[in-house]
Amino acid sequence: MAFTITIPGIIRLVVVRTPDEVLAVNDASMVERSLSGRGGLVNRSVAAKLAVFRTPDGDIWPAFRDRLDPLRVAHQAALEAALSDVRPLLRRIAPEIAELGGYVRDGAADRSLGVIVQQAVGRLFFANYTASEKSYYAARTLQTWLSPWPLRAFWIRRSGALQASLDRIMDLSRGDMACAHATALAMDNIVRSIKLMRRLARHGDNLAKIEPLDALAQTLRAPTRVVREARDERHVGPVRLRARSLVLLAVESARRQRPDPGFALFASAWNRCPAHGVVPALLADVWQAARADTGGSPEQRRDLQTDQIPVSKNPPTAAIR
Amino acid sequence: MSRRNDGFEFHAGLLQRLLDIVYRVINFFERWDRLPTLLAAVNLGVFRDRLRAHNLHHTGYGIGTSSDWSAGRERWRSPDGSFNSLDHPRMGMAGSRFGRNFPLPECVPDSGDELLDPSPREISQKLLARRTFIPATKLNLLAAAWIQFETHNWFSHGLPEPGNEFKIPLQPDDDWPERQRVDGCMQIRRTLADTTPRETWLGATPTFRNTNSHWWDAGQIYGSSHSRQADIRSGTDGKIAVGPDGMLLEDPTHLGVDLTGFNDNWWVGLSLLHNLFVREHNVLCDALKERYPAWHDEELFQRARLINAALIAKIHTIEWTPGILGHPALDFAMHANWSGVPYRVMRAVLGKDNEAAHGIPGSPTDQHSAPYAMTEEFTSVYRLHPLLPDEMNVRRLDTGKQVCCELVNMQGKSTRRFMEEHGFTNLLYSFGTNHPGAIRLHNFPNFLRRFEKVGQPLLDVAAIDIIRDRERGVPRYNRFRELVGKRRVETFDEITSIPGAADKMRAIYKHVDRVDLLVGLLAEDLPEGFGFSDTAFRIFILMATRRLKSDRFFTDDYRPEIYTDFGLDWINNNNMKSVLLRHVPQLGPALEGAKNCFAPWNVL
Ligand code: HEM
Ligand code: HEM
Repeated sequence: MAFTITIPGIIRLVVVRTPDEVLAVNDASMVERSLSGRGGLVNRSVAAKLAVFRTPDGDIWPAFRDRLDPLRVAHQAALEAALSDVRPLLRRIAPEIAELGGYVRDGAADRSLGVIVQQAVGRLFFANYTASEKSYYAARTLQTWLSPWPLRAFWIRRSGALQASLDRIMDLSRGDMACAHATALAMDNIVRSIKLMRRLARHGDNLAKIEPLDALAQTLRAPTRVVREARDERHVGPVRLRARSLVLLAVESARRQRPDPGFALFASAWNRCPAHGVVPALLADVWQAARADTGGSPEQRRDLQTDQIPVSKNPPTAAIR
Repeated sequence: MSRRNDGFEFHAGLLQRLLDIVYRVINFFERWDRLPTLLAAVNLGVFRDRLRAHNLHHTGYGIGTSSDWSAGRERWRSPDGSFNSLDHPRMGMAGSRFGRNFPLPECVPDSGDELLDPSPREISQKLLARRTFIPATKLNLLAAAWIQFETHNWFSHGLPEPGNEFKIPLQPDDDWPERQRVDGCMQIRRTLADTTPRETWLGATPTFRNTNSHWWDAGQIYGSSHSRQADIRSGTDGKIAVGPDGMLLEDPTHLGVDLTGFNDNWWVGLSLLHNLFVREHNVLCDALKERYPAWHDEELFQRARLINAALIAKIHTIEWTPGILGHPALDFAMHANWSGVPYRVMRAVLGKDNEAAHGIPGSPTDQHSAPYAMTEEFTSVYRLHPLLPDEMNVRRLDTGKQVCCELVNMQGKSTRRFMEEHGFTNLLYSFGTNHPGAIRLHNFPNFLRRFEKVGQPLLDVAAIDIIRDRERGVPRYNRFRELVGKRRVETFDEITSIPGAADKMRAIYKHVDRVDLLVGLLAEDLPEGFGFSDTAFRIFILMATRRLKSDRFFTDDYRPEIYTDFGLDWINNNNMKSVLLRHVPQLGPALEGAKNCFAPWNVL
């Protein structure tokens, strides 16, 4: 059941949590990604938060662009195509996968988990993308900016950390907004998954017992929520969306009710994540890397991964859809 | 934000901020139109400033570069409207994009099937179709022709071309001709696409280009390109070419239609006004030549154009507008727009650059928060087809005899024949003594609901009016209200008290948020004296002054060096009545006592 709260002048909000409702509301016309800030103070403050994800010329980051935006559609298709040939991409980031595998196995790595993930994701775009503690800190700052705590958000903006983080991420992404999105925001989903893999690996002989695809299914996490606005009043099934409601799609809660890895990535919706093929394959490879015996060069490990992991043999896209 | 609006920003003064707050309180208790005249006029000023701050949105120019610059071009209006702004030469030029009055993400068409829901044809039949003619008794038919004459100055989306048409399913009992159907559906062509490169920040908002110059430059008469301007000119003494009978020539590419700057959707009403103001232009050329004998054709033409265009703008501002919006506050406000307030102390206190005190002409140019452009929403609120009757009484001035004629026979290729048959003078007199239709539901001219236009399939212009707003991403009625600063309505009955209309709308739309803009505007209960809705009026308050305030030739360059002293005097001393009487003195008795030439004249 959707949860609705309306306090005139303060907030107008609908939270949607069941899988069918999430998909239906996501698909409804008049439910838009761009936020007007109308509907109450909270609506306004959330809109102001998301409004920062623009380039200096006002170009919008991909996950905040509207459905009918022709550039969004074109970029989504182009990125999906660029990420569809999974094997060479995973080979490109084999060192990072090995490092992540090490983390899953041992609970430790030479640098922090976030930096490795950020670099892996960045290298899907640019082979020489280099993440650092600083760039990961920038991503964390932007993720915190999106968390619901107004005082922290206030301080992040006030101290200049927000702008500095945006600048750093955009700089490293060489102006590619999908890369910015992936290395600042989307990467957090991968971090969460890998932490879960680590927890899974700690218990008994899970690492040996659980196959990569199963490990992936158990640990893939969706974004906790994504934000929309209902422009005009609309009934979507049983959900009543009043005009100018902020709509939160609680994707992660919904995913838990629908254990299909594709769901976490909206794989069959208009807004499907262009990385819906590569992300599961990457996670499966990480598990596989963790299972591999220690020793051997990253080169050797890479051969092992590409040859032996089922997800690499079966096109991961098919597995997800 | 500022980059997206090409660097333009609105700066509110202290007084404006203060008034904004005061009027938020006042309007909480009382609507603007119920306040005493002066308070209401100030209220309109407050609305206008809010709209200037929040309701101007740039969509990019859609045009790479302006045409070439040559020295001296700044002295008069270029044919295509380029270089009106010397810093932003592409601003407002022909071919540049329509802007928006709402933030771009609000201006996105519905997706999928919702775009055609509910059926525009059903709306045309059940809500718009005229059953019996509802006249607007405070106006004459010249007022209807006038506003089309003006919209032809400001904008055109161009002629739709075939390909990827909208397919509107038809009910079994629909009488739409079989041979016009494709797959059993009514076909509507799409608006001409904008194929110029899209800026990344446009998001999902569709863009369209204005084939005419956006400026209030009388482009309907003078054309929006060099070649069109060359076509209409006589080549001597700055004059526009006319035939031996003093009337406009025939357009060789559109037989039966006059050759003029812009002659789409031509009919006798437009022909009357074009002929009238071409005569005015030619008289201006004579008068200028007499004073400046050394001036050659080009200089005479361009100066006369400036003066003529300003006179038309003045007539529109202080005669047509108060004519259709008969509210005392508006009368006051429109006069203030043109010539300032009539209070000497206030003028002195506010200073010589203040537009409210001294009028916009001659005040500093200001684009406020976006580069000047006509907007899609502006086009939408000027969809005033119900002004057209289906038939009118054509009266002879000499004998007083009258015949009832159908409008369909006085338009398109029949226009010139009709004009020749009845004569310019009689037709002007007839337009002055017939009423236009009221801008209401159930009053859409039936001839336009089954309209044959050369080069186009059969048109239901009512259905087209509905689909155009949807296609162009203009918000539907309720959100449109909200975005111009009015409260959303919760029920159909809040929109209208037209008997039975709310029920009909409910049956068609189910939810009030789905009501189309045009339907809401035609249904809405009007403020006292108003000829169209308060919602449309909000766009109008903003854009009417913007057409003046953004234009260098009405502001910084509204001065004798550009217009000549003679020109400025001419604009000051003339009005619609003097223009009519100068060119058609026989109208004297019909106009006797007339205060506003757009109100019904005397029937002799
Ligand atoms: C576990 C990891 C990830 C998950 C769970 C995930 C999930 C999602 C979801 C749910 C959306 C839709 C958001 C919305 O509609 O508001 C989305 C969009 C997107 N994701 Fe991912 N994502 C992940 C990783 C990535 C990566 C690694 C990339 C880039 C390489 C990426 C690029 C994008 C882009 C560009 C969009 C916007 C698509 C559009 O609408 O144009 N994501 N992702
Ligand atoms: C005999 C007279 C008239 C005829 C034959 C006529 C016909 C048409 C047609 C065929 C269209 C184009 C529809 C399309 O988008 O495909 C149109 C558009 C329009 N008409 Fe009229 N009309 C007439 C009078 C008027 C009047 C009196 C007004 C009053 C203001 C008016 C305002 C408009 C407007 C604003 C548009 C939209 C133009 C655009 O999209 O750029 N028309 N008309």
